[in-house]
Amino acid sequence: MPDLLNQYFVEPAMRLFHQIGLALAPLVTVLLILVVGALLAYVVRRVVFRLLTLMKFDRFADNAGFASGILRTRAFATPSDFGARAAQGAVWLFMVLLALSAANTAVTEALVARFVNYIPNLVTATMVLLLGALLSNFLARSTLLAAVNAQWAGARALAAVVRVLGLLLTGVIVLEQLGIGQTAVIVTFAILFGGVVIAAAIAFGLGARDLARDWLRENLKPQASEEETFHHL
Amino acid sequence: MTAPDKTLPAEVAERLKSIGTADIVVGIPSYNNARTIGHVVRAATAGLAKYFPNRKALLINSDGGSKDGTRDAVLGAEVSAEALLVVSHQLNPLQRISTPYHGLPGKGSAFRLIFAAACSVNAKACVVLDSDLRSVTPQWIELLAHPVLERDFDFIAPYYLRHKFDGTITNSIIYPMTRALFGRRVRQPIGGDFGFSGKLAARYLEKDVWESDVARFGIDIWMTLTAIAEGFRVGQAYLGAKLHDAKDPGADLSTMFRQVVGSIFGLLETYEPVWTAMNESESVTMFGFPFEAGVEPIAVNTERMIRAFAQGVKDLREVYQGFLTPETLAALTGCALLPPEQFRVPDDLWVRTVFEFAAAWKHRKMDRGHLMQSLVPLYLGRTASFVIEMRDATAREAEERVDKLAAAFEEGRPYLRQVWKPAAPKPPKEVANARPA
Repeated sequence: MPDLLNQYFVEPAMRLFHQIGLALAPLVTVLLILVVGALLAYVVRRVVFRLLTLMKFDRFADNAGFASGILRTRAFATPSDFGARAAQGAVWLFMVLLALSAANTAVTEALVARFVNYIPNLVTATMVLLLGALLSNFLARSTLLAAVNAQWAGARALAAVVRVLGLLLTGVIVLEQLGIGQTAVIVTFAILFGGVVIAAAIAFGLGARDLARDWLRENLKPQASEEETFHHL
Repeated sequence: MTAPDKTLPAEVAERLKSIGTADIVVGIPSYNNARTIGHVVRAATAGLAKYFPNRKALLINSDGGSKDGTRDAVLGAEVSAEALLVVSHQLNPLQRISTPYHGLPGKGSAFRLIFAAACSVNAKACVVLDSDLRSVTPQWIELLAHPVLERDFDFIAPYYLRHKFDGTITNSIIYPMTRALFGRRVRQPIGGDFGFSGKLAARYLEKDVWESDVARFGIDIWMTLTAIAEGFRVGQAYLGAKLHDAKDPGADLSTMFRQVVGSIFGLLETYEPVWTAMNESESVTMFGFPFEAGVEPIAVNTERMIRAFAQGVKDLREVYQGFLTPETLAALTGCALLPPEQFRVPDDLWVRTVFEFAAAWKHRKMDRGHLMQSLVPLYLGRTASFVIEMRDATAREAEERVDKLAAAFEEGRPYLRQVWKPAAPKPPKEVANARPA
């Protein structure tokens, strides 16, 4: 009887517990990594926020012209908050990858490998996005100031167009870098951009020929030389 | 004095070496001024012969690559025998050099070569004249060089008779700031025609500013404020009317404005200990005999300027919000709403605006080029305000009005000290409450 009990109940139970133990160990490890990761990410967020505040990152972002874009999302209190949360996200992502790796299954390992190989594209895309946003803002402000000083009525609209075109171009490069719909995106952008330019040229040059002539005459000739004869210096 | 090395082209250095020494160097920067530079050269030649016949002199034209024969005009300009009869003959014949300069294209780079030449020949005095002058006379040489040679002055600024609406950057920003922050009432700090000692030329040459706006239009204010701030003896000379070749005054205002006003803001940073300790201004010795002279009538389109101001305040609001205090921005907006005939930008508001721009420049609140460009519409508004206010005024009344503005800049000095510090700027009550008239 004890042998039977041992053979049909205890031993299977022991095997079951052993198998559960084998499956639970990585699960516990994964959970532990995630919990520690969450804590670590939180600490990193606080530290990065403090550092960015000390480095006056908010002012830099303001000067560079991307603070308003961050604040407009209403997801972040300040540019420093954005930076801190980005760092938190990066740490969190790293810990999730670590946890997936610790799970040690074929699926998770393949997933991690694919993601790791994708990281250079992500980094490049992020840098392109950042630079593109900075450059778009800079060009938009240059356009705005030049247009205002030339007293063009549509100065703000012109600056907005420059900003949107800059961001669009940045978006296309970023998507291409990420390998998302490469050909379709570039072709769409080229058609869109070329179409806008041709349409504007046709509309302005043919449809409004007289208006174009008058406008060019009014805006491109140096009016001041005829009307003013004083020296600023 | 040390002979400067790389600034001078090799052939010029050789030529200067063969000349040896010179008591006076007359420098004329140029760029496509063939039409007028001959007259300037003749006036300088006659001035040297008449007033300094016993002095060894050198005339150097530092050219920016003219294509219209400017350099030929310099070397070929002759003073007629009849003219020479009424002046003394120079014992040492005047040496004349015309050479292109190296470096960034601009007046400052041209001056750098002149400073180097002056140092190379151990000049005691140096005079620089604009090449587009039509009213220059031989006496200008005497007025600018004599105080340096005989009275131990180091820097002589010009004092011109100008139309009441001429020289608006000078009147609304440069003169008031020079007076309020550097304590010397030099009326034309960016006049362009100066006399200075060889010692000061050597000091200028030591500075590492030749890749900045100083190499362009910023040179004049840089020379004046460097001389004042570094304790050189400064005076001014009454030269009469300044008439120069008509150029398009509307062209490149933005660039010129950035170079001149950006340079003065940069000098505030360089000489912070000087102006933060400054409490009151004093007049400087005036040479020459003041006389009345006719000035050319000028036309000013105030409507265009007011439109530029209003558009600036409206379209650049987000830009201004980055560095102007809300009080200042509100007051400027109020001005933009006034009907043209009542349009005014009050003195205290203008002072506050300029000082807040200076602080923003210092704290790099945005790209400095953009910052300067964004001041242009406000400057045009202030100019229109002055013109409307002084339309029926006499030249003397207009001059008194400029002095009143300069006094307002002096009164506003504590505010600049306040906003200049890294802490968030808050205008004092009396300034903050200012509203357009």
